[in-house]
Amino acid sequence: MAGYDNMPDMELYQPVQIDDALALAARLAERGWLVGGGQDTYGWIKDRAKRPEALIDLNGIESLRGIRETEDGIEIGALTTLTELATNPIVNERYSLLSKAASVVASPQIRNAGTVGGNLVQDVRCWYYRRGLDCYRAGGNLCYADTPEAQNREHAIFEASRCVAVTPSDTGPALVALEAQMVITSANGTRVVPAESFFVGPQINIVKTTVLREGEILTAVRIPAKWANAEFYHEKVADRNVWDFALVSIAGALRIEGGNIVESSIVCGAVQCTPRRLTSVERAIQGQPRNEATATLVAGMASQGASPLNQNGFKMPLMDNLVTKLLTA
Amino acid sequence: MTYKLIGKDFTPPDIEGKVTGEARYAEDFKKEGMVFARLLTSPLPAGRIVSIDYSEALAMEGVVGILTTEDLPQPAAPANPSLASDEITYLGQPILAIAAVTEQIAENALEKIRIDFERRPFVVDPLDTLVEGGPNPYPKGNTLVRTGGAAAAGTTQSGTDVQEIKWPRDAINAFRAGRDPGPNVPWGAEWVFGELDAEFAQCTSIVEEPFVTIGQSHHALESRTGMAYWENGRCFFYGSLQSHTIGIPALANMLGVDPANLVFINENTGGGFGGKIFPYPIMAVTGHLARKVNRPVQLRITREEEFYIGHARAGMQGWMKLGLKANGDVGAIDMIVIGDAGSGGGASGPGAANFVSLMLQPAAMRFRGISLYTNTAPRAAQRGPGENEMATALSPIYDKAIKQAGLDRVQVKIQNAPDSTGTIGPQRGELTGSWFPQAIAQGAEMFNWQERSQLSGRRNGTKVTGIGVGMGYHSAGASGYDGLCRIGTDGKLYLHTGVGNLGTYSYAAVVRAAAEVLKVEWENCEIVRGNSDLHLPWSTFQAGSNTMFTEVRTNNIAALDAVRKLKQIAATDLGGEAAEYDIDGQRVFRISDPTQGLTYAQAAQRAVELGGEYSGQTYPEDLNAITARSVQGLAGTGLIGVGKDTRHTGTVPSMTVGFMQIELDTLTGKYDIIDYACVADCGTIVHPMGFSQSMRGGGVWGVGLAGYERLVYDPQNGLPANVGLYQAKIPTYLDVPMTTQHGATNIPDPQSPVGSRGVGEPSQGCACAALASAISDALDGHQFGRAPVTADMIINHVAQVDHFNTGNLKTNTF
Amino acid sequence: MTPRLTRRRFIKSVIFSGAALSTGAGFYLTSAQTRQAGAVERLVSLNINGRTRRVDVMPQETLAYTLRYKLGLTGTKIGCNRGECGSCTVTISDVTHYACSTLTHSVKDKAVMTVEGLRAEDGTLHAVQAAFIAELSPQCGFCTPGQIMSAVALLKTNPRPTRDEARQALSGNLCRCGAYDHYLNGVMRASGQLS
Repeated sequence: MAGYDNMPDMELYQPVQIDDALALAARLAERGWLVGGGQDTYGWIKDRAKRPEALIDLNGIESLRGIRETEDGIEIGALTTLTELATNPIVNERYSLLSKAASVVASPQIRNAGTVGGNLVQDVRCWYYRRGLDCYRAGGNLCYADTPEAQNREHAIFEASRCVAVTPSDTGPALVALEAQMVITSANGTRVVPAESFFVGPQINIVKTTVLREGEILTAVRIPAKWANAEFYHEKVADRNVWDFALVSIAGALRIEGGNIVESSIVCGAVQCTPRRLTSVERAIQGQPRNEATATLVAGMASQGASPLNQNGFKMPLMDNLVTKLLTA
Repeated sequence: MTYKLIGKDFTPPDIEGKVTGEARYAEDFKKEGMVFARLLTSPLPAGRIVSIDYSEALAMEGVVGILTTEDLPQPAAPANPSLASDEITYLGQPILAIAAVTEQIAENALEKIRIDFERRPFVVDPLDTLVEGGPNPYPKGNTLVRTGGAAAAGTTQSGTDVQEIKWPRDAINAFRAGRDPGPNVPWGAEWVFGELDAEFAQCTSIVEEPFVTIGQSHHALESRTGMAYWENGRCFFYGSLQSHTIGIPALANMLGVDPANLVFINENTGGGFGGKIFPYPIMAVTGHLARKVNRPVQLRITREEEFYIGHARAGMQGWMKLGLKANGDVGAIDMIVIGDAGSGGGASGPGAANFVSLMLQPAAMRFRGISLYTNTAPRAAQRGPGENEMATALSPIYDKAIKQAGLDRVQVKIQNAPDSTGTIGPQRGELTGSWFPQAIAQGAEMFNWQERSQLSGRRNGTKVTGIGVGMGYHSAGASGYDGLCRIGTDGKLYLHTGVGNLGTYSYAAVVRAAAEVLKVEWENCEIVRGNSDLHLPWSTFQAGSNTMFTEVRTNNIAALDAVRKLKQIAATDLGGEAAEYDIDGQRVFRISDPTQGLTYAQAAQRAVELGGEYSGQTYPEDLNAITARSVQGLAGTGLIGVGKDTRHTGTVPSMTVGFMQIELDTLTGKYDIIDYACVADCGTIVHPMGFSQSMRGGGVWGVGLAGYERLVYDPQNGLPANVGLYQAKIPTYLDVPMTTQHGATNIPDPQSPVGSRGVGEPSQGCACAALASAISDALDGHQFGRAPVTADMIINHVAQVDHFNTGNLKTNTF
Repeated sequence: MTPRLTRRRFIKSVIFSGAALSTGAGFYLTSAQTRQAGAVERLVSLNINGRTRRVDVMPQETLAYTLRYKLGLTGTKIGCNRGECGSCTVTISDVTHYACSTLTHSVKDKAVMTVEGLRAEDGTLHAVQAAFIAELSPQCGFCTPGQIMSAVALLKTNPRPTRDEARQALSGNLCRCGAYDHYLNGVMRASGQLS
């Protein structure tokens, strides 16, 4: 092994218009790499585990920044930093679920540079994959993590398909819970995809975790008014309280009327390759009060159907426990 | 005893550079024509290098040279050369180094190197090599046998050999199941004192528990970068060691140069924690590469490489049987430690056993142990090696026995703690002095144990309170090194020290002992250190918490020598006997008539004129060669105080007790540390803020050892899972107690001139032990039998799926 | 499996936010000689510690590299080079960033401050520097410049932080020596809340 630690030679483009960025992305094709905050970029490149020949730095494109009110909620530019998301008054007032999720990403400096777009499309953290091994996700034909003695404490308990990596995103589960819409732009125009279907698992695409196609850029996230000022619950359980990715996280939005839950949207992170919506729990708690009795009613439901690996069985009780905490908070 | 300097805070002279960025670490030095080196390391945990082809790399533009093992002196087996010869014993083992005009070019060149390897079976769990038929980590075997002189801690060197030790499968199975493996297995070390069976027979509360502690990387934030160049046969080496002058002979030997021709510059060191006590193998690569390419070479070690070659704490797989008598006295202890020495270095079982023998003072005790190699990161001393991981494993077991007996944890710990009549180890060695029972009582009062212990198990929603108490210890003193100071003709006191600057400010704290004796205002003192060309004495290593004891002794001797010479000069010039003179106010004067005297500046001038021993033309014959050369270099520049320390007797015990209150969320396995209080019995506190740093920093390290940090390897392919810092789980601001209360007995050690001992290592031991104790206490005394205890383990335990419990004693995995 | 070899694999898929994989593969090569719309000039002006410096910067160069190797500002330390320790923390427009994980070309029009820029013209130490000395905050000192920059940025927006706010603000700076309490004491002293 070589002690790679330096950025190898490459080109850098700093477009200021989205059209230029899209044209560059199309031209450079697989040799190009889009950079937002870059916090999941430079490690790959310094390790020489991924080798783009050109970087397309999107930070000069002002239209990709900022938080705007819309007719039905708000729109967040993909380049909005996680710190802005965590501290923005509108987000804090109406969608504190998202500001809370953004506030527990990595570390302050990473939140200062890291963007919501980057947090959503960041690559998985499976340590075998990050080591540069030739696993399925890297184009090979095996999975190192899904074997009897593999060190897979942090891996998936649901919906594995060849690859058992989990979504590392903290904002992803919150945005799925808020039923956000992802605005995707390409040279051919714009398409809008619901957050829940923005993320894709390995059964659909083994090398990418989102629906973004060639030549497309995630430009904004829209949050509908539907869940504004709902009751929210967010908790991220990680080893350390800084830097670490979730072992399991939960993001929930509850609408309570007359003392009962009339509608809910509850999502777990880090249990499968995409944020996992807990639809059976949502159904079961509908019409019930938010209390201990309801928590008992749905005990064990969240983790039903899980297929744990050798070392990640704890994620099952942890998921269930987080549902309990959400309902009894 | 009242002092002017000892026991007072001061501003260490190097601290301003640390806050302005002007402090220079090895990597900050540049030299005209300097080139940059990069390493190629082994991708395999075990195997053999069949062939290396670097011709294409060497031919690349900008590549200056390549160093392989053929360029290096080969140490006697089983020590590894700095670059692998043919045998590979761990993943990340350096194979060759390339120098180029930029790091980037060197890295590009690494891609052009072709190596053919042959694989060999490897092992990441010591019990897998101990079992009959199991693979050996080294071609020759799995354990180090000492055949000659003792090796330095954490190193392998000649006088040792690798041999094979194996157990029958039945014994391994029994041990993995948490039982004594029986009488018919071989051990690497074994001792007993007292009547074990008879004492157990008198015990009314006996517990028997297996335990596993997993090593963790040192990960000093400054990696082991070095820069070297050669000029006129002299090697100038800018390195990063915890110690300074004591490293020179070994480094010179590595570089094949006379120590007199080695200039070792090490102004600041960005942390060591036991991983940089003595020169480490990669320093040879930097120096030899610089000589080969005849240019200054900087070999920067990356964070990933630091994981591979930067060492780690040894691990333990153990078993303990502990018996308490009805009155709470510890009757007998039987313990086993299979130590994981990684791919090099020594395991820590003997240190662990000594720790237990001291802290519990059992009437009888047996220890059996083996140190085994694995194909994991090389191990070295790490902050309280043996003691601190044992402290973590011991506290819940000890607690269990005490609770089972229906006694109070603090009362029993006080009752068994060593006082000055306590002994340590199988030889029942004596102590210089101990007031540890008082320290525990003091801590209990500071923490308010009486009331706090009632909170144990209290529920608050999903959270439960745990109250822990733990003890730490390390032997904290050596002796026999040299002291050197100089009074300049400018009247200033120059305090020469060969103590390294590892971040504790002990280099400054200890020389204040000389200033105290010579009664010089601190403003008139200058510390001389960090560069061997500045004429430094032979000083102790900065490890083992020993500097505060050992170097106070040397400085005292040097200062007393200077005082003697001052008085003799005064007597020579002003008449009478030396005994008729005294010193104060930077003057030597006649006691009967203080107006008769010389200023220190005048006395230094007279020393220069008188020559001989006064100004270092002659010096004691028993000085170390390094000190002798330094005195020669200083000769004629002032009044020289120099001397060799005598030897002390007994173990210098530095001991701590920690109390911790946690609130543990049973649904997430996470906990908040509500309060942490600790008290040390480490002699006189010489530098109160430095002491505070030690206790608080040790607290952070304790949280890491007991709660977060461990090596993780995939047993199928030997790949390490956590090479980077974020995977190493080093505690952050948000994982540790927000504030720490600390105190000290402040009772002087009888064999230190000012009574001081260090505390760097025990300060961690009491914290990790207190946390392990608190977690167990919060969970109704549950024995995880492992360190660290992580959130997933707690979740599983609460959910009653104890997947992560000690079970089969597995180690080096999640 | 040999990690050394597989590690070198060229991973052909992309990459971050789905940068395109489409036609036009030859475009870059044929037009590399002329600068593309948005491609960067190497010679740039940087505003470092209040001074304008002209520097030849490689396109892929990180700010930590530029500071240490081009400008000789070695106070900014590289502890991990992966954004996992905080030793390289600098402020860019008064906001903390990891210099190891920042492209130098992205700070061209911004004010970069490193630990070397904190002293006043007359040599007076910044309040945070002075407080860190008074509280014996650094141990080995390697993480100290980063801790200082995080503290300076905090006090700029929050001159009287609570201890917990300080703890949060500095939480992206690892200290292996565990001097956290002493750094927090330093922040409290620098903000006049500890005498």
